[in-house]
Amino acid sequence: MSLLGALAITGSGMAAESERLTAVASNIANANSVASSSGAPYRAREVVFKAVPVNSDIDGQSAVGMAGVQVAGIVESAEPTRSVYDPSSNYADANGYVTMPNVNPVEEMVNMISAQQDYQANLEAFNVAKSLALRTLAI
Amino acid sequence: MIGAIDTGLEFYRQVLELRGYRQEILSADIANASTPKFKAVDLDFKEALNAVSSGGSSSSGPSSSLWLVDDPRHQNPAGSGSPAAVAAAVKYQIGNPVTLDGNSVDLNHEKVAAGENAVQYEAVAAFTSQTIRMLTVAINGSGTQQSSGA
Repeated sequence: MSLLGALAITGSGMAAESERLTAVASNIANANSVASSSGAPYRAREVVFKAVPVNSDIDGQSAVGMAGVQVAGIVESAEPTRSVYDPSSNYADANGYVTMPNVNPVEEMVNMISAQQDYQANLEAFNVAKSLALRTLAI
Repeated sequence: MIGAIDTGLEFYRQVLELRGYRQEILSADIANASTPKFKAVDLDFKEALNAVSSGGSSSSGPSSSLWLVDDPRHQNPAGSGSPAAVAAAVKYQIGNPVTLDGNSVDLNHEKVAAGENAVQYEAVAAFTSQTIRMLTVAINGSGTQQSSGA
């Protein structure tokens, strides 16, 4: 039943892409968060994917070339934080500078478009596999 | 002999299974379009079909776990399209641009290939339906009764 495997694979792709989209939303929303709950300024988060084999066979073996996708982890960006001169702020240091998050809005927008396109591609592949499976039932 | 009846259907079954397998591989490529270091693969359909239908599969090994085939007189479900038989036909795609994180999936190419493969699958499914209808007509004298009843 290879087509059911295709459904599982594209499903894993959609789940992973939506998690990536969640990270982008979090970064954009916190682009100006001076202090997070930990006290330090917010740092941009990035989702890392990895390929995992899927078992779609009757005998539980995973066939060659078939891999779903999974979120391997979420890493914080190592970019340097911005410093903004604002002596009146409560978070200003001795020199009057406030440390701002290292979120790069341009990068986030590009990431968002990329995640959206990948999600749509997965959805299309899912629909194709579904219609093929239904067509097979109608033989 | 039942073999005379189901010969064509057996071939269609193999083709459908391989087309489904290729669809699965292309889906895996699409799902991993953003996975670092993932390299796109594809099924060489011609080679896979040759491997499955040239009878090499009947001699090589256990084909299905659904029933036991441990005697040469047992009927082997020929081909069986088991991934092991066609594993050699799964190849890395060559010539794709590779991104900085080592991913070689070309999303446009994957979409086109998946669409083409879906059309081929539909075609074979239609051929299969026609063949079954034809056989039903041959058996009953009228295919419509049987197919509408079932």
